[in-house]
Amino acid sequence: MSEFIDRAVVEQVARLARIHLSEQQLDASSKQLGEILNYVGQLERVTLPDDVEPFFGAIESVNAIRADEVNSSVDRDSILSNAPDSDGEFYSVPPVF
Amino acid sequence: MEISNLGASELVSHLSAGHLTAVDCIQYFLQRIEQTNQSLNAFVNISDTALQRAREIDARRASGKPVGPLAGLPIAVKDGICTSGLKTTAGSKMLEQFVPPYDATIVRRLIDADGIVIGKTNMDEFAMGSSTEHSHFGAVKNPWSLDRVPGGSSGGSAACVAADMSPVAIGSDTGGSIRQPASFCGITGLKPTYGRVSRYGLIAFASSLDQIGPMTRTAKDSALILSVIAGHDVKDSTSAKNDVPDFTRSLEKPLTGVRIGICREHFDEGLDPEVESCVREATKVLESLGAATCEIHLPHTPYAVATYYVVAPCEASSNLARYDGVRYTYRAAATDLEQMYCQTRAAGFGDEVKQRIMLGTYALSSGYYDAFYLKASRVRRMIKHDYDQAFGEVDLILGPTSPTTAFSIGEHSHNPLAMYLADIYTVSANLAGVPAISIPAGISASGLPIGLQLQARSFDEGALLQAAHQFQSVTGWHATKPPLYQGPQT
Amino acid sequence: MNSVNESAKEARARVGFDQVTVVIGMEVHVQLATQSKLFCSCSTQFGAPPNTQTCEVCTGMPGSLPVINNQALQLAIKTGLALNCEIARSTKWDRKNYFYPDLPKGYQISQFDKPICGKGYLDIADANGAFEPRRVRLERAHLEEDAGKSIHDESSRGGNSKIDLNRTGTPLLEIVTKPDMRSAAEARAFLTELKLILVYIGVSDCNMQQGSLRCDGNINLHIEFGGQTIATPIVEIKNLNSFRAAERSLTYEARRQFDLWQQCGLTIDDSPKQTRGWNDAQQVTTMQREKEESADYRYFPDPDLIAVSTSEEEIAAIEEQIDRLPAIWREHLSEVYNLKPYDADVIVSQGRGLVDYFREVADQCGDSRIASNWIGQEVLRYLNESGLEIDRYPVAPRQMAELLKRVVSNQLEQTRAKEVLNEMVASQLSVAAAIEKLGIKAVDHDELKSICQQLIDEHPEVAKQIQDGNIKAVGRLVGKARKLNPNANPGLVKDMILKFLGI
Ligand SMILES: [Mg+2]
Ligand SMILES: [Zn+2]
Repeated sequence: MSEFIDRAVVEQVARLARIHLSEQQLDASSKQLGEILNYVGQLERVTLPDDVEPFFGAIESVNAIRADEVNSSVDRDSILSNAPDSDGEFYSVPPVF
Repeated sequence: MEISNLGASELVSHLSAGHLTAVDCIQYFLQRIEQTNQSLNAFVNISDTALQRAREIDARRASGKPVGPLAGLPIAVKDGICTSGLKTTAGSKMLEQFVPPYDATIVRRLIDADGIVIGKTNMDEFAMGSSTEHSHFGAVKNPWSLDRVPGGSSGGSAACVAADMSPVAIGSDTGGSIRQPASFCGITGLKPTYGRVSRYGLIAFASSLDQIGPMTRTAKDSALILSVIAGHDVKDSTSAKNDVPDFTRSLEKPLTGVRIGICREHFDEGLDPEVESCVREATKVLESLGAATCEIHLPHTPYAVATYYVVAPCEASSNLARYDGVRYTYRAAATDLEQMYCQTRAAGFGDEVKQRIMLGTYALSSGYYDAFYLKASRVRRMIKHDYDQAFGEVDLILGPTSPTTAFSIGEHSHNPLAMYLADIYTVSANLAGVPAISIPAGISASGLPIGLQLQARSFDEGALLQAAHQFQSVTGWHATKPPLYQGPQT
Repeated sequence: MNSVNESAKEARARVGFDQVTVVIGMEVHVQLATQSKLFCSCSTQFGAPPNTQTCEVCTGMPGSLPVINNQALQLAIKTGLALNCEIARSTKWDRKNYFYPDLPKGYQISQFDKPICGKGYLDIADANGAFEPRRVRLERAHLEEDAGKSIHDESSRGGNSKIDLNRTGTPLLEIVTKPDMRSAAEARAFLTELKLILVYIGVSDCNMQQGSLRCDGNINLHIEFGGQTIATPIVEIKNLNSFRAAERSLTYEARRQFDLWQQCGLTIDDSPKQTRGWNDAQQVTTMQREKEESADYRYFPDPDLIAVSTSEEEIAAIEEQIDRLPAIWREHLSEVYNLKPYDADVIVSQGRGLVDYFREVADQCGDSRIASNWIGQEVLRYLNESGLEIDRYPVAPRQMAELLKRVVSNQLEQTRAKEVLNEMVASQLSVAAAIEKLGIKAVDHDELKSICQQLIDEHPEVAKQIQDGNIKAVGRLVGKARKLNPNANPGLVKDMILKFLGI
């Protein structure tokens, strides 16, 4: 078992990610995630000077902006045609409760 | 004319000179696909308009009207790149029926250059994998040996070029997904500088790492394709505004004075001796062409895989949240909303994808963010810094693309970590954003291709292509074809 | 044990509501007045058929990418400047991850640690002096994209929900205050003044029916009890769709929290933040959820967007565009036009258009009090009844000033002048033409004399009362004069009768 994760945490993460896992999958996932986290967990031990800023994106430039202009939207049918359920006007989803 | 021996550049000049019609060209490759795809599973979808497009281009050329620089050239596109009106699945059940209403910018540019999209190639689901075993549409086989993987995630693109099903394929590379399959399949694969090629229409895996690039027989062909697809795109905020040179023009420049660094950390334990000696041989070839070599260090290389396997899953966990059963194709049966989410995502994603979503969700969640995502992003800064230092001394960095040749199908299926570790030489270029190329540099004793990786400064793809082309001018590995797919004997 | 509890409860019961400090902070979402959405070029127009203002970007289609709308940035900065905020020289974008069917990407692009507008403040006052002037400090204001609209099946038959993504991606500025308001009335005044400013500087239409302005209130109580200050658990009241609802719900909630505290004595340490909704029909707040299952939003920098930097020059250029704010206009109308604070507020709170209208009328007719009275009553009545804005009011300032000049110089008496104004509004006539149409003529001095004489002759008993010192009785004769000749100026009639009677 990993120092970073246990079954309860895996359950909580699956819940956050909205992925249903069976009991068996929860066990398997705990084991595999544990192994991977043990490996990537080595980053914790890397010592860095305090002034090292995170590098989040591979392009360090600024100001990609567009003018406030309206272009025609995509035809509704070609948007809705990909939906598993729609009434031709709205997407349709099961009720919240 | 024997089309099978021609690369993209030669095809384009023959088409242009009228030695060959676009229709004949397309028909040849459609026939190759017909013969071969069943055993390789490289394509998931063939365009039914390609032939029609070829007729239009032939007619246009015949009437003396101008045609684009790729007129009549067949191009296979990885199925993670959106093609308007043509199914785009990213190798996932989740998008099994997804038909984009729009073209990716690079697809638009290829079409505007009169290239012809011949079909969509198989891939690891959402580009997550190094073997193309993780596709909802089944594993792709390596043309050099059908029980081997072609590499991944752009395995379909690599296999189709290697097996002569298309002269050109487009791939995407998040941690090596163009270079490693190029290496495994004995072709040339280029990951451009981050921002060089628009990501608009590329189904995101990890947005800060993803980059689209060409997969071809030769460096010259990659230069041709890159010149068409590169350049600023107003629809992609992360696309660079740098000028795009004609990359085909500087290929012939000799390597005299070019400084090549041999990365010490790329020759550590885990490297297959056969691969190592092959790369050492290649180094000598480059030296004989006038390049000067020296040893350099990228000291944070040992942390690259760990950094990558935090950053990429974090971004992926968010990028893949949109697959929730509401708007795109797959939805599991459910009586309420929560059930719809959880069942749809349980059944619509494959195991590898779910694993990475879980990993990323964990690493971003409160209490773990600093230790994982933030720390990884800081180590990433150091990895970039290593490159900045190295490129103060050298123009190119040389090493193996992958520690091994193509592994067997199923070899790593119970040990994902072992598969992750095989990305050791490729992930750093994505983390730092620098361009890198893999070119064929030898064949192993067991008859499998070996790839050589070159990396360059940001936006210096010209230097990569020049060195690769010079290497290919004096070696024959890129022209060696898999014994199974040598095409009709003349 | 029981008796200890009982005595504590009894002690709490002795605390009066006047020993309570109400603590309120507000969160306001303002839709910025752009033509296109925040990250794509779909229209933001309200009321289009469902899902017709969507594209691959705002429906979160695989492969699509966002590009920031510059105008949204500009409007956000403009708002920040008007609210005395620090403006970030560099701002970035973050993803707020959560699942909801009207949130197409599974995350909202928002701003986490580098909001475009930092700390600021807004001063509020009440023209009637209902509370002391107060400075409400602002925590921040950040840009974010709106979600879509979910239409749930209200029949309780468990039917499917419908999703419309037209609104998805509309630019919002989320303005967050510090907990600086001390009553529901102050909260309402804050909202009113905020809205007024936003409309004055043209960054939003603040149309609450269309959802261009939405607010949530955070409230708890600080109670002096047993020699210390006790805080009750914080409640967030969501989706207050009018200022009236905001005021009423906060008033209700303050009382509810007090009653609950007297009953149970729960403090902020005993209970997590709770979310409640306002039931307008029953005028109560109802529990929505407790925040302990608090969502973990997993904020992280959006890798699809790059930082935006704004230079001093750009900020200065935006500042240039901001004209005087409402508070400055109130001062101006009081000092330059001599209006009472209340009257100045009536005009200023109607918006910039009415201020300009007033200034033109007052400048031209020369009497700002008359101008203020007429505009405050006649013009506003018309605008309220017709639902029009001042720019559509049929009487131009110059014509209004013409009319009022005649009132000031006694050429037209108030009642007649109002008839003239009504005619001007109805028929779009000039003052002169309306007077002509109504047949109003100045009454000849001789005729006026004979009218007065006739009135004195016909009503000797009234004349007697007046002569006996009941000067007020003259009003009865003045009223009758209008029947003999509707154009007779009551002022002149009154003066002349008194003169005839030797007073
Ligand atoms: Mg918000
Ligand atoms: Zn849109």
